[in-house]
Amino acid sequence: MGLQYLFVFAQAHEEFRIPELLSIAELHGFEVTFPPPPSDISRPFMVLELESEVHARILARRCILVKFVCEFYGRGKAYEELHEQTRNNREKWSQYTQDTSFKFFISAYNHTVPQKRMKDVVESFHYMDFQGKIDMNNPEIVLACFEEYRDKRGTTRHKHEGDGDFEEVFFGRLLEEGTARPLVKTFDVKKRAYYGNTSMEAEISLLMANQTLAAPGKLIYDPFIGTGSMAYTTAHFGALVFGSDIDGRQMRGKEKQPGIIRAAAQYGVAHRIIDLCTFDVTRNPWRCGELFDAIITDPPYGVRAGAKRLGRKARPDKAPRPKPAEPFSSKRPDDEPYIPPTMPYELSSLVVDLVLLARYLLRPRGRLVFFLPTVTDEYEELDIQTMLCEGMEVVANSLQNFGTWGRRLITIRKITSERYPPPTFTSAQDTPDDGKAHTPAHKDFREKYFQGFKKAEDEQFGETTET
Amino acid sequence: MVRLITHNLLACHVKGCTSNNFPLQFKDVQVELREAEFNPDFLRGFIPRLEWGALVDAARQLGDTSLPAEPPEMLDDDFLQKLHHVLLEVHIEEGAMICPNCNHVYPISNGIPNMASAYHQPIHNVVN
Ligand SMILES: C[S@@+](CC[C@H](N)C(=O)[O-])C[C@H]1O[C@@H](n2cnc3c(N)ncnc32)[C@H](O)[C@@H]1O
Ligand SMILES: [Zn+2]
Repeated sequence: MGLQYLFVFAQAHEEFRIPELLSIAELHGFEVTFPPPPSDISRPFMVLELESEVHARILARRCILVKFVCEFYGRGKAYEELHEQTRNNREKWSQYTQDTSFKFFISAYNHTVPQKRMKDVVESFHYMDFQGKIDMNNPEIVLACFEEYRDKRGTTRHKHEGDGDFEEVFFGRLLEEGTARPLVKTFDVKKRAYYGNTSMEAEISLLMANQTLAAPGKLIYDPFIGTGSMAYTTAHFGALVFGSDIDGRQMRGKEKQPGIIRAAAQYGVAHRIIDLCTFDVTRNPWRCGELFDAIITDPPYGVRAGAKRLGRKARPDKAPRPKPAEPFSSKRPDDEPYIPPTMPYELSSLVVDLVLLARYLLRPRGRLVFFLPTVTDEYEELDIQTMLCEGMEVVANSLQNFGTWGRRLITIRKITSERYPPPTFTSAQDTPDDGKAHTPAHKDFREKYFQGFKKAEDEQFGETTET
Repeated sequence: MVRLITHNLLACHVKGCTSNNFPLQFKDVQVELREAEFNPDFLRGFIPRLEWGALVDAARQLGDTSLPAEPPEMLDDDFLQKLHHVLLEVHIEEGAMICPNCNHVYPISNGIPNMASAYHQPIHNVVN
């Protein structure tokens, strides 16, 4: 049996917690074990088994959702139970009883413990018999106690009401505070030198970067890079980043120096942005495959920035449009010289193409990390299974729920070392239209979104203009 | 930007242009040198992905003759430093890349190459 550690998580993105721990463990080549009973992932406390304290510290320093990591001593529905377990774990803490300076840290989740009872709590640990001096500022060890209360949102009561009526209480020696969590502030979009209306919020960009196993010496690609939100976080963890977008203006902004480079410079990672290129990923110029250690992306789904691909919608009833202007006739030198006509790119075929592209461009064991927006009530697990191809396997699938819709952060691993040809981006035509194929909830997401997710009526969508 | 590592990975993708479409030739380029982090493991891992001859030629075109015609058997630090410089520290900021086969011109401005310009010619033949 490994050593037990108490993990205290930030109260956000519940479904992202375990995938993040497992990703960082994989990156550093160690195992995380979940002792029974199975943990309820909606609760922000988890006791995990690790082989060594070093591993616990690695997780605390890299996982965005970790607030505290403690060497675990005891837990209970009431303090008696916690004390009994703590007594039984004497060999873990007896070394500190002689002359180690210490302090207690009493905290509660969904509640504030009144000062007076804090004193009682501390006194209830008298059997540990700590002889060292109490040092509130710079103690050698911190003994941490966390009471977990039910969510009181929506009820009005005094902040101390129900004091002591907790669900469970946890106790251990504080090893580390989660030092990656402050990065959420560092990468705050609003304080960024360059951002746009497609920018991904900092916390999610960091979580995505961790799912890619970003680290020095790796090359990571965002094929829909937009304003580059995930490039900064992946580069922060040491990876080299390559980005492309169909719309050069998204990457450039209005100044001479491209916006993505300006923002990257603000974070001290401009040198890790290998290059930015303008192209439609469905008609990409990559000379060969197996180039990248990971692909990280927020694909377009036509709600903020249109999902477009080059080409034209078939317009059988209309005469062909006049040919677009020649390249190099640009009047605004900072813009792309030529923006070709585009047609909408339906989400479910985009995603199938993306998985095929990833299989081609990733090295064996490489990861594809991307967001899939979907309709909450209609989503089925089969939606994910049917987007996979041979050689690609789902590692994690975490929902960020917005109500009627949500988006799922999907992590897929390439488990084959066979070489595949580049994808043809014709999945839309390739899927047999025999009525038997599974229709995923994210199909035609854009239209569903703009209709407010009314149950799908079989209606014909008119031509839409994208911006 | 447009480092030589990128140049080594991009081929012309004008519809129908499928042979002799690599490497793209530089034209009227403006070069800047900028320091990058040296990571020998990254370089060792990337060598198998490179078209070595194309890299050596591209570097020579830009006046850097430090690379041998064939990658050496021993990847010592001295060699890796040279490779590092050529692959990651030479940036093309302005100019163009031209397909040796179909002569298509890919313009580079403020370090960003516009590879989307490849679509304008033949696309009309394909769709509709
Ligand atoms: C959701 S946004 C990505 C936003 C990005 N993560 C950011 O931080 O700004 C999707 C991007 O995909 C681009 N895009 C749409 N269709 C594309 C295509 N066929 N090929 C490449 N890029 C495309 C859009 O221009 C847009 O910038
Ligand atoms: Zn060509």
